[in-house]
Amino acid sequence: MLALWIGLRRNSPIALAWGVAALLFLIGTIQASGFASYAHTRTVLITASFIGFVGVGQTLCMLTGGIDLSIPANLAGAAVLTAFLAEGHSSRLWWIVPLIVGFGIVVGLANGIGVAYAGVPPIIMTLGMNSVIQGLLLIYTHGGFASAPPKSLVDLVNGNTASLSTDLLIWIAVAGFATVALTWSVFGRKLYAVGTNPLAAFLAGVNVKRVLVVPYVVSGAGAALTGLLVLGFLGQAFVNMGDEYLFSSAIAVAVGGTSILGGRGHYVGTVAGAIILTLIAANLNLLSLGTSAVQISYGLILLGAVFISTLRVNRR
Amino acid sequence: MIPTTGVAIRSEGRRRLPVGLRLTWRDVPLLMPYLYVLALGTAVFVLEPRLIDGPGAVDARFSLIVPLALVAFGQTLVIVTRGVDLSVGGLISMASALLATHLNESGPLLVLEALAVLAAGVVVGVLNGLLISRTRIQPFIVTLATWSIWGGVAYAILPIEGGKVSPGLISALTGPLLGIPKSVLAVALLFLVWIWLRPSRFVADLIAIGSDEDRARLLGVRIGLRKIEAYALCALLASLAALWVTAQTQAGAPSGGDQFILNSIAAVVLGGTSIFGGKGSAASSIAGAVAFLMIPDLVFTLNLTSFWSVFFQGFILIVAVTFNSLVQLRTRTA
Repeated sequence: MLALWIGLRRNSPIALAWGVAALLFLIGTIQASGFASYAHTRTVLITASFIGFVGVGQTLCMLTGGIDLSIPANLAGAAVLTAFLAEGHSSRLWWIVPLIVGFGIVVGLANGIGVAYAGVPPIIMTLGMNSVIQGLLLIYTHGGFASAPPKSLVDLVNGNTASLSTDLLIWIAVAGFATVALTWSVFGRKLYAVGTNPLAAFLAGVNVKRVLVVPYVVSGAGAALTGLLVLGFLGQAFVNMGDEYLFSSAIAVAVGGTSILGGRGHYVGTVAGAIILTLIAANLNLLSLGTSAVQISYGLILLGAVFISTLRVNRR
Repeated sequence: MIPTTGVAIRSEGRRRLPVGLRLTWRDVPLLMPYLYVLALGTAVFVLEPRLIDGPGAVDARFSLIVPLALVAFGQTLVIVTRGVDLSVGGLISMASALLATHLNESGPLLVLEALAVLAAGVVVGVLNGLLISRTRIQPFIVTLATWSIWGGVAYAILPIEGGKVSPGLISALTGPLLGIPKSVLAVALLFLVWIWLRPSRFVADLIAIGSDEDRARLLGVRIGLRKIEAYALCALLASLAALWVTAQTQAGAPSGGDQFILNSIAAVVLGGTSIFGGKGSAASSIAGAVAFLMIPDLVFTLNLTSFWSVFFQGFILIVAVTFNSLVQLRTRTA
């Protein structure tokens, strides 16, 4: 526990992020009476969970000073392909899910190898990969639209286990696992070491390049699995369905206190970041402000969050 | 690290040969895009001659090249300083939305309004530059944020594709001038601008910043000012691209700018400009843009669905950037 406590204390922005999330929830409650109702809170949290799921990989990427912009196509690709291959039959999922996750891992490996071994800047590598996956998806599915997802996916996202949302239970499990991996595992230590100072990590005997590949693989697999859940949630899949996660995943991580210079931050903050972004969208919705206001506020929040984190770095 | 810097600084004091003749083996990547254009052009010409010399083919091709060439020109200036500008996507969308909703029919007011859109672009670019040089936030994060902001503004101005574009603007930017398509003239003009700009103090400073920012600072380069200028110029060129695209398509598109992010970076990388800064040529990026835009032609001539273009454009970017990067790693350690 001590390690986690020290880890979080060093990252006071994480506490700030949770404070902001609570404040936004309060503002929403004041604005509309139904805001704090069980049903609405559940919907908000489920919407946030998708950002949270893709945020695992994005947190790892940004901890090493990188970023994954191939999340949108990866997520949409997994969703469309699943709906396309399953044709509504839940019984086919036993082979589709491993296949989809396998694709995600391959994409992540390609990204990671490009970044770590060929030294390609992460933005360019993953931006190009996004286009490659999107192209392949369009070619294979002739336009990339599919409806009628397997019913078991719909039930998984919207259903309950022990009277709690299954999707949220999964998120709690994922968050727990990510926290353990980042705080207590050897890999977590190596990741922070590489993010803080690759040269120092190398001199300390860390295989820097191998560590750099892992975040992109996690992100690829994570985006693919998230695609399955979003498919169940929306009830349809289309080629642009992942686009909103391009900004939101990166912004949730930054808002959650992870320094985009690498080496500082935690998934606990990303969870808060995901909830903040969803609450902002929900609050703007109450004021009948749509996509454009959400996009503008996301951009401003990203700048604000990153600005605060650079202030901290400069002070040290 | 040191050799690249040495070259950048030494080239300042070196005897000035006419631009275009000052070549070393390091400049080979910058000549590659011309080879790509030649190879792709020949391939397309052999398979489907009318795509190259059919009636109206030249104007149609160059009409597509102009906006990408403009954005790639600006992107080159930014990438040479080790930066990147993702916000061109949001900016072009915003400018195009403005042009499709707020433009007068014709006359001097139209000119004023078009100038106002360009001025707005410069302000946007200065904002990028200020944020990057004053706060030390990495360029890709700053421009990711401003991409989101201006993209949002574009949706607020014009929620769906359409609007109404002034006929004055359309007639000013389409058709021929003195028998030559305006699109061809525009690309030629861009080449001339680069030839004029290349020997300037401005470009030398950008290259020095990209080679080694600390050394450039010690040499007295005004880094903050130069970065602001680079991002402002990039944004101005992106707004010009928006002007062109809007006149050509005769409509505004609230997310029409996004494609220019990937495409402009790809054109710059194909052009041989180093993604690690310190070396680059806008002329090569324009050639890179020409080559990049031949990919859909090749896909068409091979009887593949147009979806293959999306794949190939991303694929070529990855291959080119990996190659570019590996060459850099090799020369740096050598």
